[in-house]
Amino acid sequence: MADNKELETQEEVNSETQSLAATEEAVTKPTNKQKIDIFLKATGNAPIMKIKKWAVPPERTIGKIIEFMRKYLHLDSKESLFLYINQAFAPSPDQTVRNLYDCYGTDGKLVLHYCKSPAWG
Amino acid sequence: MANDREVLRLIWEGRLPVCFQLNSEEVCGLHTPDPFYLMVPRLSYFPLVTDKIRKHFVQYIHSDKQDSEMWLDFSGMALKWHYPIGVLYDLYSADIQLPWTITVHFDKFPEEELIHCQSREAVESYFMSCIKEADVLKHRSQVVSNMQKKDHNQLWLGLQNDKFDQFWAVNRKLMEVPGDDSFKYIPFRCYRGEEPFLQRLIKPLTEEGQRKTLLNLIEEVYPNEKVRVTTHGIEPPMDTPLQWMSEHLSYPDNFLHLCIQA
Repeated sequence: MADNKELETQEEVNSETQSLAATEEAVTKPTNKQKIDIFLKATGNAPIMKIKKWAVPPERTIGKIIEFMRKYLHLDSKESLFLYINQAFAPSPDQTVRNLYDCYGTDGKLVLHYCKSPAWG
Repeated sequence: MANDREVLRLIWEGRLPVCFQLNSEEVCGLHTPDPFYLMVPRLSYFPLVTDKIRKHFVQYIHSDKQDSEMWLDFSGMALKWHYPIGVLYDLYSADIQLPWTITVHFDKFPEEELIHCQSREAVESYFMSCIKEADVLKHRSQVVSNMQKKDHNQLWLGLQNDKFDQFWAVNRKLMEVPGDDSFKYIPFRCYRGEEPFLQRLIKPLTEEGQRKTLLNLIEEVYPNEKVRVTTHGIEPPMDTPLQWMSEHLSYPDNFLHLCIQA
């Protein structure tokens, strides 16, 4: 669980107050080293993660995040896990958090919806 | 869009000659198989054009490996199947002599470097995700989500079967600019060597409403660097407007794929 240590826990925030509505808000650009906050939201039948907000290095890939979530949620190898941006598309496993935050980050964080069956993609 | 249709067709017809060779360490038996030559569309993906390659080589390898996933390398670098073929070529073109010699493997899949691709469906879902992402950037997802399933299928079949008219009959809707004369943002990815690709949020117009050019994009993505940009094997002039580039030089996934050299 090496990844587990690298993903630093941050104080949990109330997801209800920070909705996706503010898409036009300016996003603060991270420097190369600064970690990026990601916010993981369960959809459909997906189990809820006890800690939803994580700070991850900008070069972290979506593939590594899926790998980490699978362990955290104790999914067995037969269960699928899908991640979505803007409830619209599934980012590629080699896509970096930095790219996604720059393009789709809102309100200082990147929101990722996850589910166990294909939803929007 | 329609006025420069000839450009779209020329881009679509881009082909590369490739010489596929089986990794010599995997040859099982006395006979080394002949290389297999193929003209491949730049806009396609390797898993869509290599069924014949698999059939040709599979009889020469160990029987235990005959159901293994096939993968490709050029000069020791594993080729990412989810990059369009033309992007891979442009990335490595400095080291490539035509025909492009590619080594075929069935063994030792490089887990750290490649995503698995067990079937064409994997390519299809990756391709459709890219189209959806591009439409989020261009039209806030409004065009693609108003399309029917049959339109999505037509885009995919057009690419898979190399049918320009079939593909563009639907893709033109994704390239429309209703009302204002530009997209919201330009979908693009920049590739440089082995680094992860870069993607940023860039508008086709300046604050004053002027059309941004390729030079503007490079200045935003690589500030204070002088770089060359290649796509589809050409170096577009730096004063090419981004909106025009997005409409005419995007790959079928609706992204501009720009290879960056110092």
